[in-house]
Amino acid sequence: MKRTLILFFTLLVFASLAVSAEIQLDVKEHVLSNGLKILIIPKPGVPRVVCHIYYKVGSINERPGITGIAHLHEHMMFKGTKMMGVTDFAKDDSLNKRIDKLMDNIYREKFWKSDGGDKEKIAQWEKEYEELVKEEKQYIIKDDLWTLYMKNGGTGLNASTGNESTGYYVTLPSNKVELQMLLESDRMFNAYFREFYSEKDVVMEERRLSENRPGFFFNIEFHDRYYVPNNAVAIYVGDLDPQNIIEMAEKYFGRIPKGPDLEPIRTYEPPQYSEKRMYGEGNAPTSLQMMFHTPPDGDPDVAPLSVLASVLGSGGGGGGRFRGRGGGGSGRLYKILVQEKQLAVSVSARSRAMWYAGAFQFSASPRFDKNVKPEDLEKEIWAEIEKIQKEGVTPEEIQQVKNRSRSMFIRSLSSSMGLARSLGRAELNRGWRSILTDLDDLSNVTNDDIKRVAAKYFVKDNSLTAIYTRTMGQRQRRR
Amino acid sequence: MKKRLTILFTIVLLVFSLGVAQVQKPSDLKFPPLKYEPPDPKDFRTEFASGLRGYIQEDNSLPLFNISAIVHFGGLYVPKDKLGLDSVMSDTLIKGGTKTREGSDIEDRINFIGGSLNFRVGDQTSTLSLSVLSEDIDEGLELFFDVLMNPEFREGPLDLAKASLIQRLRQANDQASGVLSREYERLLYGDHPLTWQPTQATYEGITGADLKAVHAQNFFPKNIILAASGDFKKADLKAKVNKAVSGWKNKKLSIPMFSKKFPQPEPGVYFIQMRTNQGYISLGHLGLEDTNPDYFAVQVMNFILGGGSFTSRITTKVRSDEGLSYNQGSRFRYIWGYPGMFSGYVQTKSSTVGYAISLILGEFNRIRREPVSDDEMETAINYYLESFSNSFESPQSTMSTFADLEMTGKPMDYYKTYRDKIKVVTKAKVQDVANKYIHPDKCVIMIVGDFEPCNAGGDKWPGPLDKLGKVHTIKLRNPLTGEEPK
Repeated sequence: MKRTLILFFTLLVFASLAVSAEIQLDVKEHVLSNGLKILIIPKPGVPRVVCHIYYKVGSINERPGITGIAHLHEHMMFKGTKMMGVTDFAKDDSLNKRIDKLMDNIYREKFWKSDGGDKEKIAQWEKEYEELVKEEKQYIIKDDLWTLYMKNGGTGLNASTGNESTGYYVTLPSNKVELQMLLESDRMFNAYFREFYSEKDVVMEERRLSENRPGFFFNIEFHDRYYVPNNAVAIYVGDLDPQNIIEMAEKYFGRIPKGPDLEPIRTYEPPQYSEKRMYGEGNAPTSLQMMFHTPPDGDPDVAPLSVLASVLGSGGGGGGRFRGRGGGGSGRLYKILVQEKQLAVSVSARSRAMWYAGAFQFSASPRFDKNVKPEDLEKEIWAEIEKIQKEGVTPEEIQQVKNRSRSMFIRSLSSSMGLARSLGRAELNRGWRSILTDLDDLSNVTNDDIKRVAAKYFVKDNSLTAIYTRTMGQRQRRR
Repeated sequence: MKKRLTILFTIVLLVFSLGVAQVQKPSDLKFPPLKYEPPDPKDFRTEFASGLRGYIQEDNSLPLFNISAIVHFGGLYVPKDKLGLDSVMSDTLIKGGTKTREGSDIEDRINFIGGSLNFRVGDQTSTLSLSVLSEDIDEGLELFFDVLMNPEFREGPLDLAKASLIQRLRQANDQASGVLSREYERLLYGDHPLTWQPTQATYEGITGADLKAVHAQNFFPKNIILAASGDFKKADLKAKVNKAVSGWKNKKLSIPMFSKKFPQPEPGVYFIQMRTNQGYISLGHLGLEDTNPDYFAVQVMNFILGGGSFTSRITTKVRSDEGLSYNQGSRFRYIWGYPGMFSGYVQTKSSTVGYAISLILGEFNRIRREPVSDDEMETAINYYLESFSNSFESPQSTMSTFADLEMTGKPMDYYKTYRDKIKVVTKAKVQDVANKYIHPDKCVIMIVGDFEPCNAGGDKWPGPLDKLGKVHTIKLRNPLTGEEPK
């Protein structure tokens, strides 16, 4: 036992990296033998701990026929386990299997048959389904996990599914982190997807989805593949004792066997050979969007693109980590198009370096009272792009972006939740240290870098221009 | 070799099974005790020159400096012929420059040092906030007090702000959620300063002189409370603030008071036609003020009814049991000095609009009729007690919270006694306040959606909607003119 402990502690890495002379980012890093990485940031003060767990799975792991599964699965993770949310697991399990069989019959009849199937048969099965759901209710403890967290002072309770990752969040009193360890390890290991079909309706309300094939059993397959310790990172930020967190993680998450190795996702963005244009209309402000393909997170061109987005569109609140953006204030485009020429009410530029592909986006809304068209703004933005391709930007503009990046980073350290989110997502892609090396990359950007990326990516054949026109009142259905 | 492997395999299995056996059910967990006392406002209260007050906390964990000025002035106090002045002031206090600086120079400088300077006028208070690195504290404070004390509202930025706000008016009826919230308030409070809306004409009529007059009348030291936190010495900061505000003259405070009597709208359905695939719904009536002694019991009651997320009855019924919606619940909204609003809310597809409303009304009635369960009480009360310290996680928001307490005249031991007041709420009290503050027979049910499919209903609740009460149709006013449609 002693030997095992020594092994655990040697795996613990104390990483204290300096952002500047006065700033240290203290991250305690520990890897369990099943591959789960634990990141710990002690932040003495109010006795609360932000507890996040992130899985490297998102809509990018879907394929035609199962689109929507990543999000639906995230909802199903709140439906309990073999231990949580149920009074008699054996009886509940047996009912669930019968429900799934019935729904499979209905699906085949409704969607496999071109005439929509035998209506009477379907009605009978639906009646049986309703009866089984009613019968199952006696064994279900509704929203057991959520209630337990709230009863113990859980706040910031949520989960989210993105293209690249899925996160589960709760903030607890410092003395109750063990509850998160128990519940999150339990649902990683023993998830059970009861109430599947009513939850699918909830997701349909949240986001209109097409009819999806996945059922109860498909969820299990998806879960077993991606919800494994070697595909996740758990983060704890707050008033905590790192050693205590590690011991609890060993005890709870350590019991879960390592999952199969996951083949990394490989993507390929086919080159775009000509300019694309889109036009739409409806009840929303008239606007212009211009997008350009850019490289993914980690590419050397990301830093200059980020600086360029900040120079063009800064002053609107910044864009967080290397997603340079802004909607007004002192950005170049705001000064030219909103203040000087008075052609737009808003204009922004944003560089989004995602994990598998990137995009640079300009957005603008024209002045209605001056009869400006989106196409007029498009010409103005192209003129500014061409100027930057030739001359680049000023040293003051570059320095401003560097100053802002540094101060925004320091400010981000004050939010435990924001810190957990940045570290967790970064860890699953290029490692959490990338948030520091990216900051270094940004501080080394030169005007030549900016001219180079502007010339490389801002070309018509690499662009998509979308123009949306407001048609308020013309398409309203009359009562 | 094979024998060794078998032994090793057995050990691994044993260790693994022992590990699993160690894991308890949540009810077996024993948590170490945790004692937490909230910070006491008087430890942070500071008086400055000219009668300016503030709450200040030194926090040396990061080289940052944050300061906010909370001013007792808001949109509610704007006269009817100048409606929208609050929004124009929000957009021009900084951009309009000061006596000695252009607004763009102020913004450029703040951006260059990587700081932020924001101003927003709310319903009854306005807030100017600065955040800079502590190395820039002197420059930040100079810009902060210059903007707070000497705004010029120059014509160029003023015209830009007005043009942008008028353009935004054109979009006022685009989004169902925005329309619902505005029209629901208008129905409950009637023609009252709380519901008045600006028009193109009122925006166009606002001048720099109007803004300067309103500023001069309301922005003075005794009408402002500061909240500051960060890496500084309290005495140093106090000296810097005193230097900035000494000589700043006070005025006589004149806050208008408005009627607290509101018309009782006829109960029933109020429908606003919009072609959307979901109905957006609010149902309820006026509520209470947060200074009411029943406030704490109402909080607990509403947590159980529809405020406690997945632990609440409305979410369980409408979302978890029936899968009708993603967003649903109930809320009591509070307005300083006036009764707030109570509402149940849900967004659901058109065919289940009537059904979802009927389920929410059912829960309104149930919580009045039956005592809540012991489990529900335990969850609600424990949530408030155990999550209490969360409110004090950020030093800056704690200082702002204390400034707000003083501004609204609430007792300064509000947080010290908060948990005791939650602890004493009983099941009987919950039922009592449910009967006192929820009146299903007086509810207005406002729906923004597509009438025909909403009225048709679905299998579980076939329409028509007049089963829920008389259906009134609300036609939206022209947001540019404020005129009723002909």
